[in-house]
Amino acid sequence: MEMFNYYFKLSIRNLIRNRLFFILMISTLAVGVGVFLANIAIIKSMSSDPIPYKSKNIFNVSLNIWPNDTPDAELIEIMRYDDAMHLLKNNIATHTMVHYQSQVYTRDIDSTNLTRHQAVVRATTPGFFPLTDAPFAFGGSWQQDRAKQIVIGDTLNQQIFGGGNSVGKTLEIDGKPFEIVGVLKPWELKPLFYHAEDGQKFTTTDDIYAPIETAMDNEWVVNVRSSATERSDSVSDNRGKNVFFIQTFVQLDNQQQKNAMQQYIDNYSQHRQQQGEYLRANDNRLLDVNQWLKHKEVVDERMLAFALATSLFLAVCIFNASSLLLARYHSARFETGLRRAVGARMKDVFYQGLVESVLVGVCCAILALLFGWIFLQISITLFPALEHTSDIDAPLIIIGIGIALVTSFISMLYPLIRSCRTPLSTTLK
Amino acid sequence: MLNMNNISRIYRSDTIQTHALRDFNLQVNAGEFVAVTGPSGSGKSTFLNVAGLLDSFDEGSYELDGVNIQGLGDDELSRLRNEKIGFIFQNYNLIPDFTLFDNIDMPLRYRSFNAAERKRRISNALEQVGLASRSNYLPSQLSGGQQQRVAIARALAGEPKILLADEPTGNLDSLMARQVMELLHTLNEAGSTIIMVTHDPDQARAIGRNVQVIDGQITDHSVYAPVNNNAPIEVKA
Ligand SMILES: Nc1ncnc2c1ncn2[C@@H]1O[C@H](COP(=O)(O)OP(=O)(O)OP(=O)(O)O)[C@@H](O)[C@H]1O
Ligand SMILES: [Mg+2]
Repeated sequence: MEMFNYYFKLSIRNLIRNRLFFILMISTLAVGVGVFLANIAIIKSMSSDPIPYKSKNIFNVSLNIWPNDTPDAELIEIMRYDDAMHLLKNNIATHTMVHYQSQVYTRDIDSTNLTRHQAVVRATTPGFFPLTDAPFAFGGSWQQDRAKQIVIGDTLNQQIFGGGNSVGKTLEIDGKPFEIVGVLKPWELKPLFYHAEDGQKFTTTDDIYAPIETAMDNEWVVNVRSSATERSDSVSDNRGKNVFFIQTFVQLDNQQQKNAMQQYIDNYSQHRQQQGEYLRANDNRLLDVNQWLKHKEVVDERMLAFALATSLFLAVCIFNASSLLLARYHSARFETGLRRAVGARMKDVFYQGLVESVLVGVCCAILALLFGWIFLQISITLFPALEHTSDIDAPLIIIGIGIALVTSFISMLYPLIRSCRTPLSTTLK
Repeated sequence: MLNMNNISRIYRSDTIQTHALRDFNLQVNAGEFVAVTGPSGSGKSTFLNVAGLLDSFDEGSYELDGVNIQGLGDDELSRLRNEKIGFIFQNYNLIPDFTLFDNIDMPLRYRSFNAAERKRRISNALEQVGLASRSNYLPSQLSGGQQQRVAIARALAGEPKILLADEPTGNLDSLMARQVMELLHTLNEAGSTIIMVTHDPDQARAIGRNVQVIDGQITDHSVYAPVNNNAPIEVKA
């Protein structure tokens, strides 16, 4: 311990004496590591599995019911109300949920404050909660299809009620009261697999979960696609029409279920075809979460190209920093030689080098993490969709510290080994 | 104290071999003051470096204070350097941004002395070389002669068995050289064993025992008036 203190003091003295050198060297390496970390953090969260323990059991259902027989037409995951209702009736899947996304303005009905909060709504069915494993803090799902009941997310609960058990309280949406029957805990899905649409792949989970029938009855807005001949005047009017806006997910826990489900959707589209609907070649798909995210191109190609560039940049920074360090330790060999001449063992000299290189490595790592964080914030302003998702997590922090330490350690070790091989008399000449 | 038998040191490069030392024999007893002279390139520094364990040798045997050097590992060699040898270089080899105190402290750090013991030894050593009041100076704030005295203090602080000095006055003007020589004589009178390489015949003459190195061998040994040397002198040529 005494030796450690001695070496630590010597290293600090060295760093201060050669501060310009060390600032340059440490910044060089830190910039490289920082950019690299930020980039990896983004790619990691883009390509991460949002629900790893059951991603193989959750499937998106895509039907070939789009009225267009162009073979290369894009597979489409949204379906009509009637299709969704038919899928919902299956008794094959462990859980089934259908949903669409909407947006409303809401406030606490009992509050004197009249400000309305904008809230993202998931109009869905009770199967949503067990399928996504949405964690309830209080209460649970609604039971009736048309219940004027909702579940709210933690963020909205904090915003409006300041947190706590809000079950039994009432929200006003467009002048109508809705009873809160459940409150979720803070909950993140990266990416948001059940709604992996452009610009939304990395958003937070929703504010309000409401029965889909209730949402439609109340005309909560929705983006739809429809065939040119079909007119859609209101949301509730979309039932029974060729208007496409609902996504369906099922949980299938074994191959039998999966086969049966495939059969079920194939039968359904055949049935529609027999009724004279204009359908594409039979192409009904069940894609599990990761296949689904791949299909939705969640990892941005630009990011991958950028990753290659940052890796090369990191390599350049490492070479630069270590050549600076090599030169520096090379020039420190007089002192090393002198210490050996007055009785330091190789071990002692090595230990001293270790302390200094760890100190340099740690400074470097701290700065690298800081730079990494800054670059991440910059990237997020360039790719706003990444907000709330990417962070430099523990494994990345370890990688960053590792690169910094290994670089400074090897750059210290090499000249030391070299100088231990030459006779001291030569070093001290 | 120091016993070298048939030491040879060969420097090999791709094209040439230099026999810096060949069949080199020397015995030095405790308390002796030995001046090593000889022409430039004859192997004086090589001998002193081998003696100070700063360089290896190819053949022969070397015993220092009863310890056979042959086959010792780095730990043992370092320990001998630290505890038994005080080396004084022509160019002082002080660390420029260490105070005198820290420079002298350096060898002591590699021994298990506590802070108080180190401090005591440093003050003593500085006292012996007459620089007691300057322990917080930097080497650059001293004259060359003073710097060499600091280097001597550094060598003394470990209370070594033998002091080895390679042209310690080579960089000094005659006045400063005389001060350093007086210091070395005082140390010898107090019991230190000293081997010193010098080019200055006057310095050599004032020293108890002279050996001459020519072409890597001891070719002549003339003993001048021994100073404080009670032990019989054995020289094998
Ligand atoms: N590291 C080395 N590599 C190769 N040859 C060397 C090395 N060190 C010394 N020599 C050679 O060994 C011989 C003896 O050198 P040494 O330095 O011992 O001489 P010296 O007696 O101290 O000379 P001077 O009085 O000039 O200091 C010389 O020929 C020198 O060129
Ligand atoms: Mg010499």
